[in-house]
Amino acid sequence: MSGAHNHARAAEAFTADSKRAHWHDKALWFVRQKRDKAVASVPEWEALRAEAEALKAHTRAHLGYYLRLFEERAKANGIEVYWAEDAEAHNQIVHRLLQEHGARRVVKSKSMLTEECGLNPYLQARGIEVVDTDLGERIVQLASQHPSHIVLPAIHLKKEDVARIFAKHLGTAPENHDPAYLTRAAREHLRQKFLEADAAITGVNFALAEEGAVTVCTNEGNADLGTALPNLHIACMGLEKVVPSAEALGVLTRLLARSATGQAITTYTSHFRRPKPGGRLCVVIVDNGRSGLLKEEFAQATACLRCGACMNTCPVYRRSGGHSYGYVVPGPIGSVLASARDTARYGSLAFACTLCASCDTVCPAKIDLHELLLKSRRRVIEQKPFHAKRTGLRMAAFVLRRPRLYRFLTALWRRLEGVVPKRWLYHPKNAWGRERQMPKIAQTPFRARYAKRRRA
Amino acid sequence: MSAKERILQALQSDTPPAEPWQSRVETFAPDDLLTSFTTAWEGAGGEVLWLGEASKEAIALALGATTKKVVDTRHEKIDEIAPEGLWAIVEGVFGVAENGAVWIEPKERYPRALLTLAEHVVVVLEKRRLVPTMAQAYRKVDFSTLSYGLFLAGPSKTADIEQSLVIGAHGALKCTAVLV
Repeated sequence: MSGAHNHARAAEAFTADSKRAHWHDKALWFVRQKRDKAVASVPEWEALRAEAEALKAHTRAHLGYYLRLFEERAKANGIEVYWAEDAEAHNQIVHRLLQEHGARRVVKSKSMLTEECGLNPYLQARGIEVVDTDLGERIVQLASQHPSHIVLPAIHLKKEDVARIFAKHLGTAPENHDPAYLTRAAREHLRQKFLEADAAITGVNFALAEEGAVTVCTNEGNADLGTALPNLHIACMGLEKVVPSAEALGVLTRLLARSATGQAITTYTSHFRRPKPGGRLCVVIVDNGRSGLLKEEFAQATACLRCGACMNTCPVYRRSGGHSYGYVVPGPIGSVLASARDTARYGSLAFACTLCASCDTVCPAKIDLHELLLKSRRRVIEQKPFHAKRTGLRMAAFVLRRPRLYRFLTALWRRLEGVVPKRWLYHPKNAWGRERQMPKIAQTPFRARYAKRRRA
Repeated sequence: MSAKERILQALQSDTPPAEPWQSRVETFAPDDLLTSFTTAWEGAGGEVLWLGEASKEAIALALGATTKKVVDTRHEKIDEIAPEGLWAIVEGVFGVAENGAVWIEPKERYPRALLTLAEHVVVVLEKRRLVPTMAQAYRKVDFSTLSYGLFLAGPSKTADIEQSLVIGAHGALKCTAVLV
């Protein structure tokens, strides 16, 4: 399995600290409960989810049309539109735009797409300073880490960790881990970055085809502040972010924040339809594998609103942490996207799932996540690294189809059980036995006991 | 062939829909729009101020500020952002009862940055201008003249450190809705 990511192995460090893992689990469950409370206040919630699902299916069926319409309308509004087939093309376009503008310092608000494309290291290698301005993203950036959650990037860190990181980089008092104090320090530090910035990069939550505008949702106001000062705003979007019109936001903005954090709406839901006076607004539309995904059985995964609700509810995510997924988007939706993108590499993610389907019930776009994960498993099992598992199951099937052989083998085991040394039984090759104890075999088989009872 | 054409060719979904997409969800209006709005606004960390008359002086007085540090964008044209500690009065076009969001459009009257750089944002909203949900709200926004506009729901906030809510992330530290 060289080169392949192994979720269980990657989660070991996280699960080894059981106190912290427990805390992580509880913190996310708390967010899930807030979501439930917010959802309960909307009588038409289920109708809204069904509408979002239908809306996304409609948009997929006419995606090319809506993207063309978006470009045409956006251009008419003075927005520049660029197309990128892959991550490399995206990074090149953004870099070129920054170069044209002579930008050395860039402020960026949250964008999972730029994470996916590896934009930060690309620009940094070319002498451009990129500052993530979302507090959670800034924390992980200073710690040289990646977000472990798409909405709560630093959810894996405790306030003591943040205090240490800030003490090192922002000069705060190391022993002061009051969240308000730390947030204030970050505000001061980032305010300076905002004022110095030559350009702003944002993600896009929704691109409105009919109106030729883009919508960005934040709680901190970092996208609004970042784009308000410099004269260049680059908005990067995956091509699945387009929606037919603002009418669609009448559905989607009702679902997004409630699903994500349990808020009725994000503090800032901002619409950019024209560049600011004297400025440039550039939208980069990125494919990077999406058109391929849309042709496959995983097309539905492109309906994702990136709310993170499936992560907050997932029993595996909550107990293994976002970094264990080794992919830009973790959790149930990340597992689907990653294993569809590179089955050989991310195949183990399809098994980081109990098939409890809790994610299906919270997904605002009604993506059948556990069905998609099952499909991923089917695909994964065809791949070479998983042949061992398949062989094991085949052997079991072979024995179970042959009652006599089964009887013989169980009788044999009854004799050997006490004799076989533990280190053989729990040999490292026996992955099943690493976290579990082999069950004791009954001294009298069920068949014998059943037959005895019938006779009695 | 350009990147654009290659992407669109791969998508193979160029046909326009038979009719424009329209939401068919039946929305339930809160019983009392005003109560719902103020509850949501305060729940998001904002303050509510009831005034009969919303002049700059009356607002400054009610908020305990000197009129000097308050800029009233309804009557004063602002080109440059003033120094720190500024309070800004802005017009709220309409509000949304279900979530306490207010539609705000700077137009050419004040720079976009004022909304986030001001320490205290005061939104003046006529209480009869409330719609039940975002479904009605988006039908009310006039996109044909829009440059930049936002739904603002209280002061900026973050819970990125251990899920502890802190008011005042990057934008306004305080946000007041003046209902007239």
